[in-house]
Amino acid sequence: MILGQLDKLPALPAVVVRLLAVTASDESSARDVVMLIESDSALTAAILRMAKRADLGVRGEVTTVDRAVPLLGFTAVRNAVLALRIFEVLSTGDSAGTKDTSARTELWKHSLAVACASQMLAEYGKNAPMAGEAFVCGLLHDIGKLALDACLPKSYARVLDTVERSRTCICDVELDLLGLDHTAAGKRLLQRWELPQSIVECAWLHHQTPDALPSAATAPDLIRLVHLADNLVRRQKIGLSGYQHVDDLSALAGEIGVDDGAIDDVAKRLPDRMEALCEFVGLNDLDSRHLYVESLAKANAELGRTNENLAETNARLALRSAAFDALASFSEALAERDRIEDVCRAAAHSLREMIGVDTAIVFARVGSSECIRVGIASASTTQAETDILDPRDPENTALRTALSVEGAAPTIVPAAEPYQALWRRCAAAPCEQPLWALALPAGGRVIGACLFAGDAQVVGRWRSAPEECVAIATAMGLAAATAITRNDAERMADELLDVNRRFRAAQVELLRTRSLSMIGEMAAGAAHELNNPLSVISGRAQMRLAKSEDPDLSRAMQIIVEQAHSASQIVTDLMDFAKPPTPKPATLVIADLLESLLQHWQTGSSLGTDHVSVTCADPSVAAQADEQQLRAVLDAVMANAVEAMKPESARLQINSPSRASDETVRIVIEDNGCGMTPDVLEHAVDPFYSYRPAGRGRGLGLSRAHRLAEANGGKLWLESTPGVGTSVTIELPARTPSD
Amino acid sequence: MADHRGKTVFTTGEVAQICKVSQQTVIRCFDSGRLKGFRVPGSKFRRIPRDALVVFMKTNEIPLDQLESGRRRVLVVDDDPAIVEMFTDLLEPDERFEVKTAASGYEAGILTEEFRPDVILLDFKLPDINGTTVCKTIRSNPHYEHIKIIACSGVADPDEVQELLSSGADEFIRKPFVIQTVIDRVATMLKVN
Repeated sequence: MILGQLDKLPALPAVVVRLLAVTASDESSARDVVMLIESDSALTAAILRMAKRADLGVRGEVTTVDRAVPLLGFTAVRNAVLALRIFEVLSTGDSAGTKDTSARTELWKHSLAVACASQMLAEYGKNAPMAGEAFVCGLLHDIGKLALDACLPKSYARVLDTVERSRTCICDVELDLLGLDHTAAGKRLLQRWELPQSIVECAWLHHQTPDALPSAATAPDLIRLVHLADNLVRRQKIGLSGYQHVDDLSALAGEIGVDDGAIDDVAKRLPDRMEALCEFVGLNDLDSRHLYVESLAKANAELGRTNENLAETNARLALRSAAFDALASFSEALAERDRIEDVCRAAAHSLREMIGVDTAIVFARVGSSECIRVGIASASTTQAETDILDPRDPENTALRTALSVEGAAPTIVPAAEPYQALWRRCAAAPCEQPLWALALPAGGRVIGACLFAGDAQVVGRWRSAPEECVAIATAMGLAAATAITRNDAERMADELLDVNRRFRAAQVELLRTRSLSMIGEMAAGAAHELNNPLSVISGRAQMRLAKSEDPDLSRAMQIIVEQAHSASQIVTDLMDFAKPPTPKPATLVIADLLESLLQHWQTGSSLGTDHVSVTCADPSVAAQADEQQLRAVLDAVMANAVEAMKPESARLQINSPSRASDETVRIVIEDNGCGMTPDVLEHAVDPFYSYRPAGRGRGLGLSRAHRLAEANGGKLWLESTPGVGTSVTIELPARTPSD
Repeated sequence: MADHRGKTVFTTGEVAQICKVSQQTVIRCFDSGRLKGFRVPGSKFRRIPRDALVVFMKTNEIPLDQLESGRRRVLVVDDDPAIVEMFTDLLEPDERFEVKTAASGYEAGILTEEFRPDVILLDFKLPDINGTTVCKTIRSNPHYEHIKIIACSGVADPDEVQELLSSGADEFIRKPFVIQTVIDRVATMLKVN
């Protein structure tokens, strides 16, 4: 399609064809050129204008073409005419208004410059004879661009735009957007114009590096020349080539036998040479100085733009890098099991470093408990600190209210009053600079904020970098939210565990109580049922005993009576244990009680005075307990101790370490008996458990004592070491609950 | 000696015998109004009710031995036949006591009225009503004021014992018991040797 468009471009004007022919022929003379020009009135006028300008300082006016041509030089005239006419050809294809003509002008300017440079470079090197041809080749090397622009002005404008922005090779962009690059388009157009092969090749191959030229190329030197000129002009930034890259000129020059000095010289003289030509062609009113300045200004502007971009990018990158560093240091500081205040502290530390302020405070509210956890990082202390605000604290309430009105977008804003209060409370230094807040979002809510003081300029940098602020605030909000969630989960797990534990304890207690009350009921029933037959057994035996004169029978009857009563007592004990009578508490002075008990024990047992010692830390200490029951408790414990000890070495210590001010009263009874193994100790207070051989002792003594101690609102526990002895502690309330 | 225990109304001869005085003295006392009584309708025979005799004897400080002489009446209340049987076997041979038994509170009530026991051995746990109720019922009737109640139980819950005693029981004995103790208690209460 594009090729078709190209084919519709106008043919070369006759004058150009002729001129080219004249140039190519050695036999042509100035006269032929003059005639050609004179056949075209517009050309004549243009040449005369050119001659007039060149004629400054020469007397008389140049009014005829045949005078002008020698004055200007045959080659110059020819070149000018070619340039003008070809430019005109392609200009006519312009659909006016679609694209500003400046880009096209610039393209032309580049072509002209390359044409001049090619010619001049040819003059310097071994290629002097082909200088004229070099001009034409240079002039037409980028004809493809002009052709494409003429055919597809809108698309080509886009090509130029893209090249400008992306700074990529124009050929690639052309291929990409149009499917055809300017070298191919140029080759096609020039072939259609039936121009010599050397010109076609220059247009086609001028982007190839010299060593990449096809061996079949008919005019490799010309192509190299144009290639060098193209690069030189690009370096000088004359016109628009759509190509930024500049190859190594020296190397290229060497290829065609031109030295560096020549290149510099050409570069210097190039604007001068272009001046006349440009005027002739009608490209503005360019003079050489203008051209210089313009090219310099353009180069400068470009450099400036680049610098500006670089500075901007740099500043932005510096912020981004600081934010990234802060994120990195924050995530590094986070540990798996961090508490919320630790997360806040780590966040405060990272933010402090990032923004470059002395002190930063990060706080977050904790979901369910509504505590506010605060982390503080300050330059004055290397150690970051934490703080917790109680939910009842009015400051806490104000903070939470402030958080709830905060928009969820994390931007740095001047801190609200509750934040200022928090700052005054937590930060060591008073706030002389304005205070700023950055909200920490999580799940669409604001869960906390970061506070820091800093002058507007320092903070302003960050206020103008919203992306970084969002990134860091979101990351920190997320970390805090995670910690909060984990904290809640842990707390709930703890509570669940606690509830579970209490539930289990209650279950065990319930089971114990239930089994005890069942035992109680059974024992009561059994007492009624068993005691009747036992009464009969005992009664009948007694009746028989009274009449007996046989001593054996009497003894048997006596045993029957005793055992019946003993059986009855077991039932009674069991019932007492399971369902102890309701205690009737009284104030019992422990010292007095122990003294009276001691007398009782010593009369009733083998224990001598020197085997027992009683110590009361405070003789006035009194317990609240049922006297009869407490006596029963102490009796049972004593009996147990006495049984465990060897009578000859028995040593029993009864000690009450309590003071009158204590909530509880303790009585500790220590023996030096055989002690209990852990296994025995574990079951020591179980009913009917006895470590003594079966049948001896019913094993209700300690269980009953334990039970009675509990019934009186107290406790009883044992500690024992086998072979060393056992210590029984009885703890009783010192006061009635209403005291 | 004639048995006067069942009698509610006495002749002047019987009164003379009981009080160990002459019949003339009795008649004189009757006629003077110091011994309350009545004449049999349609005749002139004097009759003296038991209560009036007791009052007369007490007023004149005459020992009541003769009036109440003979066996003391013991009512054993227990739903366990073995217990009842044992008490019967224990007390019957003793000449001081006459024994009747009841197996329920209801039966005990009827026998209290009929048998007029001097002492009741009362099991606390009866199939129909408990011992406390029996005590209260007996004590609510002034005629039974003199009846002694000994409550027995295989279970000696202090609260229950206290309740029994405050309901009118004179004594509490726990089962199983030493039988001699029980007999001694009964004898002491009834002032019999």
